[in-house]
Amino acid sequence: MEVTMALFITKRLLMALATVLVVAVLAFLLVHAMPGSPGAVSLGAGASQDAIDQLNQQLGWNDPLFAQFFHWLGEAVQGNLGASLIDGRSISADLADRLPVTASLAAGATVLSAVLGIALGVTAAVRGGLLDQVIGGFVGLLVALPAFWVGVLFVYLFAVQSSVFPATGYVPFEVSPQDWALSLALPVITLAVGGAAFIARQTRASMLEALQQEHIRTLRATATPTWKILYVHALRYASLPIVAGIALQFIGLFGGSVIAEQLFAMPGLGQAVQTSVSTHDAPAVQGVVVIATVVVVAVNLVLELATKFLDPKLRAS
Amino acid sequence: MIPTVAPTRADQTERTTAAAANARSAGKAAIAKFSRHRLLTSPGAVTGIVWLAALVIASLTAPLWLPFKTEDQDFTAVLSGPTAAHWLGTDELGRDILSRIFAAAAGTLGTSLLTVIVGVALGTVLAMLSAGAGERTEGAISRGTEIMMSLPGTVIILAVIGAVGTNIPVVMAILGILMSAGIYRVILGQAKSLQSQLYVDAAKVDGSSPLGISVRHVLPGLANTIVVQAALIFAVGMLIQAGLAFIGFGPPIPQPSWGGMIQGASQHVYDAPWMMVPTGAVLALTVLSANAIGNALGKAPNASAPHLPSAAARRQRAKAVAAIASAAPSDRSAKAHEAKGTLSVRNLSVGVDSAGPGKGVPLVTDVSFDVQPGTVLGLVGESGCGKTMTALSLLGLLPSGVSVTGGQILWNGKNLAATTDKDMEAVRGREIALISQEPMRALDPMFTVGYQLNATLRRLRGMGRAEARNEARNLLEKVGIVDAERILKTYPHQISGGMAQRVAIALALSGRPRLLVADEPTTALDVTVQAEILSLLRALVKDTGMSVVMVTHDLGVVADICDQVAVMYAGQVVENGRTEKILDNPRHPYTLALLAADPHANHAHAMPERLASISGQVPQPKDWPSGCRFAARCQFAGSACTDPVPLLPSGTGEGLVRCVKADQLAVEGMDWLATDVPASQVLGIAPKQATIIGKDLA
Ligand code: SF4
Repeated sequence: MEVTMALFITKRLLMALATVLVVAVLAFLLVHAMPGSPGAVSLGAGASQDAIDQLNQQLGWNDPLFAQFFHWLGEAVQGNLGASLIDGRSISADLADRLPVTASLAAGATVLSAVLGIALGVTAAVRGGLLDQVIGGFVGLLVALPAFWVGVLFVYLFAVQSSVFPATGYVPFEVSPQDWALSLALPVITLAVGGAAFIARQTRASMLEALQQEHIRTLRATATPTWKILYVHALRYASLPIVAGIALQFIGLFGGSVIAEQLFAMPGLGQAVQTSVSTHDAPAVQGVVVIATVVVVAVNLVLELATKFLDPKLRAS
Repeated sequence: MIPTVAPTRADQTERTTAAAANARSAGKAAIAKFSRHRLLTSPGAVTGIVWLAALVIASLTAPLWLPFKTEDQDFTAVLSGPTAAHWLGTDELGRDILSRIFAAAAGTLGTSLLTVIVGVALGTVLAMLSAGAGERTEGAISRGTEIMMSLPGTVIILAVIGAVGTNIPVVMAILGILMSAGIYRVILGQAKSLQSQLYVDAAKVDGSSPLGISVRHVLPGLANTIVVQAALIFAVGMLIQAGLAFIGFGPPIPQPSWGGMIQGASQHVYDAPWMMVPTGAVLALTVLSANAIGNALGKAPNASAPHLPSAAARRQRAKAVAAIASAAPSDRSAKAHEAKGTLSVRNLSVGVDSAGPGKGVPLVTDVSFDVQPGTVLGLVGESGCGKTMTALSLLGLLPSGVSVTGGQILWNGKNLAATTDKDMEAVRGREIALISQEPMRALDPMFTVGYQLNATLRRLRGMGRAEARNEARNLLEKVGIVDAERILKTYPHQISGGMAQRVAIALALSGRPRLLVADEPTTALDVTVQAEILSLLRALVKDTGMSVVMVTHDLGVVADICDQVAVMYAGQVVENGRTEKILDNPRHPYTLALLAADPHANHAHAMPERLASISGQVPQPKDWPSGCRFAARCQFAGSACTDPVPLLPSGTGEGLVRCVKADQLAVEGMDWLATDVPASQVLGIAPKQATIIGKDLA
């Protein structure tokens, strides 16, 4: 049993590594397809062709692609993602500052989506009837509402009409935990609206499927109290697909934070992608894509191991 | 659980088509078929289709009717709300919002369609390739899609925009590639099951090329799933596209886009909040429409009923129970049956609830039987005869949407049919227990055998932890498990089917019940294990003095263990009596036919050369005739058989029989004639087995 689990973890780790590597290559190629050489981007419009050529030479732009990639990879594994073409800042340092913002956002939104979504989904499945239909309709509406539109609505309701929350900006945790939480509230809720709807659907379907299993009838035939059938046995059975759904949702929310960061002016990774793409800052784009992938893949790995741990078939075989 | 009530959609369409062809009005049938199509029965989907169609037409004809050009600026009405001139108001430059919404629609819908086409096509092709080309290829493709699915897609799309610029069609096509992984996942399972169908094998044998097979046999089966996915992806594509435009990666300015317009509006949420409304509503409605279409098409047509009904369904049932209780005030004349451990079912009817599909259809009608303590009653018949429904009603465990509609179930003189679900909890497990057909599925896969037994013992017998653990081991030993200690620690998937059935029996015994309801307890097991389980049950009856209601289609089981038999056909008891009387001297043609088809049941008879069969199938409950329900398949049917047939004494002991010709047949001593049964059916390889044949031969 130890062996299978160890083998499984090793396999998954290798897959995760492969994923990151594939993305690194992809990001490298994309960045090379960007219009304009790094010299041109860095020196701006007024620069002479000679100066541009010289800087390109210096940055290794004219080296063979392979050499460039492996040079970048060698530096990257040591934590050095190069310097921004625009302001010369260390990309690693910049992203290290930004990661906590996006991580708080995505993690907060995932947790909130999971809590709300599971509550809604379980209620719909367990109560049935009219309540199920009402929740179904509500959830269907939430899935269709664009996150950015919901965000603006929240700004209007909570920041403009009643200034409960700050409309924009981010306060680091170290500065003031309370303000940190307040500054995160609106973006997190904005992102969680769609996420909760998705998880609610997944939960409802999984609960219903669990309740269709024949062992539920055995439990009833042995006079198991209803609450125990629902919240111990059925929920336990449904937990596998629900956790898988949450893992999938994290990826989506991590991406969705680009929009939330833009809307609420938060200095996170999403903002970094957006600015570096607009300014053609090639190494910055490359760095942020790879970092985002590493985070997403790592979180997924953890959640997947959690699902496997929940599954006695894998745990005990 | 109730396939007999709600025939699959395919069935319905087949039947309608056939009927229509007879009437030579295939056109009409097509219309009828279409009007009952899932899309058109869902109000949401109909609204969705209408909205999308209107949007497409409106945006394509926009230049003809739009009141303003998208760039017309009306400085007299900047940031205005809805007015007569500007129905949906204007933006910060005084541009007409209505005009801009519809001018942007075509591009938004078109490029989202591009995502759909690329994503769905790629996903489908990959899935069909995986399904058709062996495990290696499948492994490689699946690995690849797993990687794709665990990527932060939004970030990658932004990087793509960095490379190709805001060239929306290209960006949306690449988005399609990223999304194809998810579509592949959804389609793969179905493609694989289609690929393993018999007719696909046949096509392979015929030498069709793999490509030909995929296109001709697999693709059509995937059509519905593909359309569902397309609709859902379309919605996601629109949302992502609008999101990109919102953060400044939309079509080049000044071209209008929905996301860009919402972005513009968000700048004026302080001074002109109205601006948010029209564009947001149109975008949301369009996404809703696509989702509604996808959901309507994707709805599983035959979801099975939950074993624990929802709270709403339980309230419904409580009402039905109350109705039964008031309709049948406790029968004082039933005093005689109040002896401990006596079950007496009187005129029991079970039917589909009046709400939902197949409303009001009866499944079991007027069923009566008695079970004395320490005896075994067999409920026999083909599937679809209402045996299981009858058995489950004894525990109040009928599936959702089905309930007792009349009659009484007297247990120790108490009418269980009129007992609330809450009060049934005192009966279930403690007095009446259940074992079912598939022991593996009857045990909770997430908990160990030990946990399940301990929890049940503590609940039903009020035992403490240690005591329960001891008793669990005793119980397992009692049902013939030697290494009980080890089995207690295992999960259900780690033990064999026979072992699981023993565990399930131990679980059923843990409340020391007086009646065991056994629903085909040996059907899913190997032949040798079947015999062991039957002898275990026989021993338990002898040792504990409990009684058993045994549901089975196997007359061998009946001969082996039952004292009494009730033969059921199409929801009715057609013959009952003592086992040996019925097996030796069947009076009902259906019993006769069952026996003729299963020569092993009666050891006295020699194996015949040809097996008899019963042509046709048990009729669907909604097709039951008012006369004899067996008439359509009966070799002795005559004109008298079209009137309702009462259950009358059969002349053999206390037995009853429901056949107008029973006496005549008894006198003439007729046999159920063997008809030629094609070898394929005897071997059980025919696609639809409509006849009963000797199982042991197969
Ligand atoms: S009543 Fe008629 S049709 Fe029915 S079983 Fe008897 S002979 Fe056959």
